[in-house]
Amino acid sequence: MKTTEPLKKACQNYEEDLVLYYYGENSADERRHVEQHLVECACCQSFIEDLRRLLPRMTPTETLPQSFWDNYYRETVRKLAEQDERNSWWRNLFAPMKSWLVPAFGTAAVAILAIALVMGKGKLTSFIDRPSATLPQEVLADDNQLEFFRSLDMLESLSHLEEKDDGQLKPMPSQSSRPKSEPALA
Amino acid sequence: MADVQQWRDEELVALCQQGQGQYFEFLVQRYMQKAFHIAFDFTRNAETAKDLSQDAFLRAYSKIKQFDGRSSFYTWFYRLLVNLCLDHARRNSRVVWESLDGVTDKPSVTAQLSDSHSQPDQEVMAGEACRRASQTLEAMPNKQRTAFMLRNDQGLSIAEIAKVMKTTEGTVRVYLHRAVAALRQSLVEFV
Repeated sequence: MKTTEPLKKACQNYEEDLVLYYYGENSADERRHVEQHLVECACCQSFIEDLRRLLPRMTPTETLPQSFWDNYYRETVRKLAEQDERNSWWRNLFAPMKSWLVPAFGTAAVAILAIALVMGKGKLTSFIDRPSATLPQEVLADDNQLEFFRSLDMLESLSHLEEKDDGQLKPMPSQSSRPKSEPALA
Repeated sequence: MADVQQWRDEELVALCQQGQGQYFEFLVQRYMQKAFHIAFDFTRNAETAKDLSQDAFLRAYSKIKQFDGRSSFYTWFYRLLVNLCLDHARRNSRVVWESLDGVTDKPSVTAQLSDSHSQPDQEVMAGEACRRASQTLEAMPNKQRTAFMLRNDQGLSIAEIAKVMKTTEGTVRVYLHRAVAALRQSLVEFV
């Protein structure tokens, strides 16, 4: 082990700025602020020194021979050509069909729809004409209940008419309260 | 041909979108090294990195007409590649820290973590540091690891990383901070 000293922690509110400072990603103001702090803080100085020693060594610096890159390029271009060839094969296969494919599908769709309507028409008619006796009880409406709801509708309409009348005419006072000088309204 | 190599990405992409796919090869030439290194960062395996980065090119080519130009081609391509690498990492759920030994004559990452005048015991320590770094990276959430590798290894800015990861710059800063703090915590004794 190179050192047995405990790891010095940077100031918590500066640590992120120190990382950015190491990578040169601070703004000018931030950089000045960090540099002023580094003058005063040994822990943060130690943090930056550790980054400067450690992080460059993690960057891979292998330089591969030119032959590797020549092979890589040739292989990539070959793969691109093969991909192009595969895509062209599919396009060429379906290209002659394009001229008749859409009309053919359209005609088939119309034919299927027509057949479905013809075959289904009889069934639809029979459904409509089905006597109520074959309908489930939950669907059948009770005549009495319908009459009750119709009367409710009528009552609601009457009250609307009355409100309308009240709005158009002055309210008719009762006989005893009417001043004697005023003529009665027609 | 030299003139074409000077063309901007947008010009090459526009030609590809018009059906002149041969211009995509110039984009391959331009970005194949970066693509491979990103994939290698994630997978630590040269063969897998080659396959993944080439898959990313194939996918980008097949989707080139869907590229709407709102971001740069590179950011869009990067995003495709990173997503492929993350999917691969999820399927395999293990990153093996390998070097490009046998492919390159440069020192491996393991050797980099030791001093230049290292002794055998120091090389053992470097190997241990390597394993510790691998474990720390592997234990991180995917997004933290992605943000760290894109910044530290690939040199993307925080703004670019935010576009690749489809998140905010503030979130990237948090990921980066946490990743670096965790690595420092685990590796500082080896520095």
